[in-house]
Amino acid sequence: MRSGWLLPLLALVVMVAAPAHAEQGVTDTEILLGGSNSFSGPLAFTGEQITKFGVDLGFKAVNDGGGIHGRKVRTIWYDDGYKPQDAVANTRKLVEQDQVFAVIIPQGAPPVVATLEYLEQNRVPLLFPYQSSTVTRGRHWVFQGMTMSDRSSRMMIDYLVGRRKYRKFAALYQDDEYGKSFLTAFEKDLARHGLRLLAVESVKRGVTDVSAQIAKLHAAKPEVTFLVLVPGPGAQALRERQKIGWTDTLMVSTGPLTDERYLSLAGDAAEGVEGLSLWPDPLTSDLPGVRRYREHMQNYFPRNEPNRYSLAGYFAAMLFTEGAMRAGARLTRESLIAALQSLKRWESGILPPLTIGPDHETQKQAVWVRVERGRFKQLTDWLKSE
Amino acid sequence: MRLLALAIGAAGLLLWPWAAPRYFVFLASLIVVNAIVAIGLNLLSGYTNQLSFGHAGFLAVGAYTAAIVATRSPGAPVVVATLAFGFVVVEAILNLDGLTRGNDGLRVPAARLGPWALATDTARYYLVLVVGAVMMWAAGNLARTRTGRALLALRESEVAAQASGIHVARYKTLAFAISALYTGVAGGLFAFVVGFLSPDAFDVFLSVDFVAMIILGGLGSVPGSVAGAAVLTVLNDSLAGFQNYRPLIFGAILIASMLFMPGGIASAVRRLRTRWAGHPPMAPDSRRGLE
Repeated sequence: MRSGWLLPLLALVVMVAAPAHAEQGVTDTEILLGGSNSFSGPLAFTGEQITKFGVDLGFKAVNDGGGIHGRKVRTIWYDDGYKPQDAVANTRKLVEQDQVFAVIIPQGAPPVVATLEYLEQNRVPLLFPYQSSTVTRGRHWVFQGMTMSDRSSRMMIDYLVGRRKYRKFAALYQDDEYGKSFLTAFEKDLARHGLRLLAVESVKRGVTDVSAQIAKLHAAKPEVTFLVLVPGPGAQALRERQKIGWTDTLMVSTGPLTDERYLSLAGDAAEGVEGLSLWPDPLTSDLPGVRRYREHMQNYFPRNEPNRYSLAGYFAAMLFTEGAMRAGARLTRESLIAALQSLKRWESGILPPLTIGPDHETQKQAVWVRVERGRFKQLTDWLKSE
Repeated sequence: MRLLALAIGAAGLLLWPWAAPRYFVFLASLIVVNAIVAIGLNLLSGYTNQLSFGHAGFLAVGAYTAAIVATRSPGAPVVVATLAFGFVVVEAILNLDGLTRGNDGLRVPAARLGPWALATDTARYYLVLVVGAVMMWAAGNLARTRTGRALLALRESEVAAQASGIHVARYKTLAFAISALYTGVAGGLFAFVVGFLSPDAFDVFLSVDFVAMIILGGLGSVPGSVAGAAVLTVLNDSLAGFQNYRPLIFGAILIASMLFMPGGIASAVRRLRTRWAGHPPMAPDSRRGLE
C-alpha cells in the first residue's frame, strides 16, 4: 500500500467520522437515552427490572407530568446477556445508529468496563452504571451509580470486625472484574485490622454449580463467608451450605447481591443470612420517595412487585430528570454533566441527601440487613464509607 | 452482462463507506467476516458432507491470536469432536488469564499495516473487504487444484474416490483444516472489527449461527454463503434487544429453509433464474466445485 492515496483517504474518513454536533439525541420534543443490559443470561431478571420496570417507570411518570422542559424521554434497550463483547457492539449501535444522548444504567462490571473507553472517546455520558468496580470513579463522562466495592468493603469489614467482633473471614467470588475488585478491597481492609482472608474460592461467570467451592471453604472454618456473586450462584451457595449442614458460618452478601431475586431463589436456605443493602426496603419503607415509587408502580405496572432493582432504575430516572431540569432548556451533554456536578444535598426521598463531588459518585452508603422469615430486616441506620 | 453486474457490485462495495453511516460500515465489515466463516464452513460441508458445531471455537482462536490457525482433527465423529472443541477453546481462554484477561475480556488495539494503524471503521472495512475477496476467489477456484479435484471426487462418492487412489481420511482432514483456516482468518479480522473480545461470546450458539448461515444460504455455494451470512448478520443485529428470542427465530428459519427452500437461497435464485429464462431447471454441473 502506498501512502499517496491512503493519507487523503484517512483524512476524509476522519472528517466523515467526526461527530457532527454534541447534542445528539435531543430534539425539541424528545430526549433519547439507551443502554445495553442483561435481558438473557444470569442477570436477565435484574436487567429487566432496572430498565423496563425501573427507569421506564420513572420516565413514564415524568413524561405524563409534562416531561423535562417540554421534552419527553424515550429509552432504547439492547441485550448483552452479561457478555462484555456484546455490550461493546450494542453500545456502538446505540451511539452510532440510534444516536442516543446518553447511556443509562448498563449492568455488570465486565460489560460496563468494556464500553468505558469507547464512550469516553465519543464523549457520551455514562450515567449510573449498575456495577461496583472502582474503574469508573472520577471520570468526566461517568456518574457512578452503585456504591463502589472499596466503600462497600470498608463498611462491611468495619461493621463485622468493629461492632460484631468477627476475626475469621473467607470469600467466594466471581472470577472477573466484579469479584476481583471486591477481593482486593477485602484484603486491604482486613489488613487494617491485622487480619486476612483464610480462604478464597472463585466461580466462573455464568456457572451455577458451586458445590466444590463450598466444600473447600467449609474446611477452612471461617466465621464469616462473603458471597461476591450474582443471584443464581449466590442462591446455590446457600442451598449447598444447607445441604452439607454447614451452620457455624455467617454468610454475608455484597451490595450488588443483596436483593429479592437472590432471596427468592435461595428459599429457606437464606434464613439468617446477612448482607449489605444499598437501598431501603422497597415494600415496607416509609420514606416519601419509596412511597411515591410504590404508587407509580401500582399505577403503571400493577402486576410487577416492587424490588430493589426497579427501585434502583427508578432512582436513576429521578436523578437524570433532576440533572436535565437543572441543565435548562438548552440541554447538551456538557450542560448535563455540569448540572449533575452542581447537586448539593439533593433530597430524593429514597437515599440520604446527595451531594456529587469530583469523584462523580452518586451512592456512598448502605444499610446492614438480615434475612428473617424470608424478608430483609434492616439492622442498622445508613452506614457511612467516608 | 455478468461482468457488468460484477463491476457494479464491486463499485458498490468499494464506495459503501462513503455512502453509508458509520454504523453500517461496521455492520458490513461484520457481514464480510461472517461470510468468510460461512465460506470456510461450506468448504467442509459442501465437499465432505460433515457439519461442524465448533467453528465458534476456531473463530475464538483466530480472534484471540489474531493469526492463522490450522488444525488436525481425528477423522471419525467430527461433529462431536467439534462440539467438544468449542467448549475446550472457551475453557482454555478462560484459564489463560495472564494472556487473555479471562472473563474481563480483552481490548484489541488497532490493526497495523506497515506504518499505518487501521483505526477507523472505513479502514477496517477495506482490510476486511480485500481479505474477504481473496478468500472468496480462492474458495471459488479451489476446484481447479489437485486438492480440489480430490475433494470433488470425495463429494460425489467416497467409495469411488478411494478406489481411484484418493486417501479419504487425509482429504477429509485437509478439508477440515482449510475450513478452520478460513475461520481462523475471519477470527483475526473479527477481533479488529469488533475491538473487544470476551470468551463467553464464542459459545456453541455462535457455531450454530454459522451452520444456519450455510443452510439458509445453500450448502456448497460460495455466493450462498455470503447471502446467508448477510441475512443472518443483519437479522442478528436487529434482534439486539431480544436475544432470548434469537435461538427461536434462527431455529424457525433453519426449519423453514430446509422444508421450503432445500438448497437455500443459492438454489432458490438458480430456480428463479431458469424459470425466467424459460429453461427447465438443470441439474448442477458436477464437474464444478463450489459455485
